[in-house]
Amino acid sequence: MSKAAAVPPSPLSRLWHKWRFHLNILLVLIPLGFMPKYFHDASLFRGDSGLGEHEIGEIAVGPWTLQLAELRDDAPRADGPAGHFKLFNAALCSTCINEVKAVYLRIGKPRSLRAAGVLFSGTPYRMSANLPIPTNTRSDAQIWITIEGWDGSMQQSAIPLAKASPATIAWLQQQGGK
Amino acid sequence: MSQKQKKSNSRLWFLVHSWLALPIWFFVLIVSFTGTLAVVSQEIVWLANPDVRASKPSDDAVPLSFQQTLEAIHKAQPQVAVDFISKPDESHFAYEASVTYPDGRSPTLYINPYTGVIQGESPSFNFQAFTRALHGWWLVPFTNGYSWGWYLVSLLGLPMLASLVTGLVVYKKFWKGFLRPTLRVSHGPRIFWGDLHRLSGIWSIWFIAVISITGTWFLIQAILADNHVTLSTEPIVPVISREDVPRTPNGEPAQRIDLDEAERVAIQQLPGLEVSFITLPGSAYNHLYLGGRGWYPLMFQTANINPYNGKVEAKFLVSDRSATEIVTESMRPLHTGDFGGIWIKLIWAFFGLVLTLMVLSGLLIWTKRTAQATAAALKRKPRAKLSASADTTTEASA
Repeated sequence: MSKAAAVPPSPLSRLWHKWRFHLNILLVLIPLGFMPKYFHDASLFRGDSGLGEHEIGEIAVGPWTLQLAELRDDAPRADGPAGHFKLFNAALCSTCINEVKAVYLRIGKPRSLRAAGVLFSGTPYRMSANLPIPTNTRSDAQIWITIEGWDGSMQQSAIPLAKASPATIAWLQQQGGK
Repeated sequence: MSQKQKKSNSRLWFLVHSWLALPIWFFVLIVSFTGTLAVVSQEIVWLANPDVRASKPSDDAVPLSFQQTLEAIHKAQPQVAVDFISKPDESHFAYEASVTYPDGRSPTLYINPYTGVIQGESPSFNFQAFTRALHGWWLVPFTNGYSWGWYLVSLLGLPMLASLVTGLVVYKKFWKGFLRPTLRVSHGPRIFWGDLHRLSGIWSIWFIAVISITGTWFLIQAILADNHVTLSTEPIVPVISREDVPRTPNGEPAQRIDLDEAERVAIQQLPGLEVSFITLPGSAYNHLYLGGRGWYPLMFQTANINPYNGKVEAKFLVSDRSATEIVTESMRPLHTGDFGGIWIKLIWAFFGLVLTLMVLSGLLIWTKRTAQATAAALKRKPRAKLSASADTTTEASA
């Protein structure tokens, strides 16, 4: 910079001196630009715009049913060394609330109840599970929903990952392309 | 050091001070102002929305317990699922309960602390959350670790700290300003704004130091988190083990202890614990999580209680914190002024306004003086040397 300012100012330095105060305008435009996104997210988190951005629909699991949705219709999010995660929301049918003890989600069929996957947490009307998505997941993988009843019974159902989260499939294909 | 050299040094300091916030002054102004609003956002909502006020039906009315509040909600709205109840620090605020309706909407309900009446539901525009998001991360969403808006705002801690230091260097014998405060109103606007800037500056030394240091901590906190470094000693509480959750032959949900029992157990086993909120279990395998401020008002103490057998299965008290954590965890309440009730918040808001005014008066002084001073200094000095120093400072602040 100092050298540039010596005799003939460099284009960069001239640009900075001419436009530096316009940084204010640029900075103030940032929150204005993000405001629609902020209110979209606020409404999503408050449940005003449904269970999630991508509603998967009603899934029968034994005698029970469950509404499932992807919170965000986009690629899994990185969480450092823990890997990538995809957040799913679920709501139980009103008649099964008192019978269901726990709901789990997993990629691939669980071998037992102890390995049923991530536990949904929240209220019966809106609960969430953050599903780990390994980068080597096959695009024809299934996600398995396991419901445990208070009476000790266990019911399972599966849907293709491609149906549950098309955005994850697109992301997995990108990962494979690396 | 010769007299001449000393003088030119102080001129340089002066220039540095003058240019610190300048190219981004409007951004700094809005950040100061929204920060001020955020400090008293709860009070602003109290003024605007009668639903959040706690009116006492009679002088001898007793506030409800957690269990009584839960029962009152269920009596009024049997369908609603409650996941969190909190009793705000100050008695003029209604209790808050975050709930979910069968249609999946999850607002916060405002409950009268004495009657248990549901006074209203949080509007979809959350003023408190909005001012905090605007002030804290410039509304830039968090998608992968900390939002870059968070970095943008917290970086301001550094030029702010530098403004404080350089300001005190250029204000010769500033301590005299405490004894002989000067605010000349009849000598024209330049003198007035200059006096105001110095006067509010010296009285805000402590505040600017607190805000800039804690603000810089927010920057460090984001850098640590984004590099997956944690200073926390808080236990990661595993879910309740399968054996400890009863299986019910009739298929009904297992009985859980009531909230008042959980509070009683926690206080009995963890002396000094005060309970101002309870998070209800999010599943059959989750704990009741309760806590509140302890003897050290800048921190919360919490406990995880097994809802089936009433055992305290995890705790995190002030005494469980490492020395580093005591310092780092105190940063946020020190920044927001939320640790000792309304009077501390009002002091923070007042000095927040003073700080906003300092940004404004600094700009006004600059427009009237620094532009000329810089032009003059650039003429006097060998051009290259001075412009180098001016450029580094402005870029550091931008």
